Amino acid sequence: MEPSITTTRSRRLRNSFSALALFACFFSVTALAKQTEEEKAAKAAAAQEKLLQVFISEPYLELATGPGRGYPVFHVVPREQSVDVLHRRTDWFKVRDEQGVEGWARARDMRRAKLADGSPFVFNLGDRAGFTSHDWELGIGGGDYGGANLISAYGAWSLTDNMKVEITLSQFLGNSSNGYKAEAGILHVIVPEWRISPILELGTGVVHTQPRATIVLPEDRTDQTAYAGAGIRAYLTRRFFLRADYRWHTVFTSRDDNEELEEWKVAIACFF
Amino acid sequence: MESRNRLLLLSSALAATLLLSGCASLRWPWNKDKQIEEQQTEAEAAEEEAEEQDVSPPRVIEPNVARRKIKTPRIDNENWEVGVGLGFMSIEDFGTNVTYAAQLTYHVTEDFFFRADLGQSTAGRTSFETLGGNIELLTGDERRFTYYSLSLGYNFLPGEVFIGRNLAMNSGFYLLGGIGSVDFAGDNRLTVNFGAGYRVLPTDWLAIHIGVQDRVFDSDLLGETKVTNNIETLLSATVFF
Repeated sequence: MEPSITTTRSRRLRNSFSALALFACFFSVTALAKQTEEEKAAKAAAAQEKLLQVFISEPYLELATGPGRGYPVFHVVPREQSVDVLHRRTDWFKVRDEQGVEGWARARDMRRAKLADGSPFVFNLGDRAGFTSHDWELGIGGGDYGGANLISAYGAWSLTDNMKVEITLSQFLGNSSNGYKAEAGILHVIVPEWRISPILELGTGVVHTQPRATIVLPEDRTDQTAYAGAGIRAYLTRRFFLRADYRWHTVFTSRDDNEELEEWKVAIACFF
Repeated sequence: MESRNRLLLLSSALAATLLLSGCASLRWPWNKDKQIEEQQTEAEAAEEEAEEQDVSPPRVIEPNVARRKIKTPRIDNENWEVGVGLGFMSIEDFGTNVTYAAQLTYHVTEDFFFRADLGQSTAGRTSFETLGGNIELLTGDERRFTYYSLSLGYNFLPGEVFIGRNLAMNSGFYLLGGIGSVDFAGDNRLTVNFGAGYRVLPTDWLAIHIGVQDRVFDSDLLGETKVTNNIETLLSATVFF
């Protein structure tokens, strides 16, 4: 079969089109005004059906019943045939072949498939190259904040490979007080292509402190805080990396003196 | 005398011949173009001869077709999973009560995922309160047991479950472990949670979970500080997006 140059599956589209056209015709007899709406619906349905079509260039493509290596292979798509890519979950693609059989194909195998114009099917794989250059980071971790236990989660978005904008949400649980803090800052990865690279941080946020119930202290307070920090990030495997950092916080309290606090934490993070 | 004249004439003629021919062989500027022209005509003649002799390959026709640019549709990533659950929370010393929970999961690879849990339950009465009559250890608000946790999960034992002859659904076990916090009895405490779950997927986007997690924290509510184990059993439904 010759690869077609369209990116959509014609058969399915035609079926849905004809069904919708019939539907539209039926209604045009009764209500002409409604026709435009039906056309809009047809267009919307067509747009929704637009899926990426890739062609198998290896001898065959195996389809498994689920997105994991443990699920059995139940179908193979032969060379030169095409599959529509429905969606992706981790390193698996849900695809539909020309006969309408749906199954999960491994990303590594899909990497060898070709687009309709013969160009390779390129997508983001979770590997070292992805570690150097990616859009998003997500991590959870724990540590110490001025002597209190710290639980934190962060999300970062890459402006460039070196520079990221990050938001950190944390809770601290200490002997004298508990609290929450939310911070936004800039993260600078000094050498993103290294497996282990130093990082620098700078940011600001708010900290809400609640004194423990058992100790009599002034009421809850919310203060502004700023931090400067340094640390390292180290690639582990696949999409995971470890991040350890130290932050020096200045809390701008309503009292005469600003409070200075040290924070240490280790986080496990992923990129995507 | 006559022979002498003849010799003179012959030698001058020889010299003239030599000189003239020598001039032609020398590379005078005005001779250069002539030489090139000669060479060119020779080359052309050879080409013509070759063309006449052999069958030249057919001329390649450049097709006047512009290559189509293919716009690749965006592939939908479905790595996020969100859902709600209902179950029981056994709070140490405070009995077992209904718990409501919400969970958000990000699947990083086929093996590992991050999960955030948020839940709330209400603590019952301790046996001390029940036996002691009118004693109340905690107020109504303090009995609210609100918790969250951030965990790392690991999928293992993937497989299929069969319901009847024609229905097969994907399934899998997973292990979970993480840290979090609980707000109980007017105080926040750091918790360490670990547990396991079983997931069945009737469709690709819907999952039904049965999970058990132990949420461990230090408590000094009943006098001395002790480690409390709080077992949560949860049935939840989640959707992938």
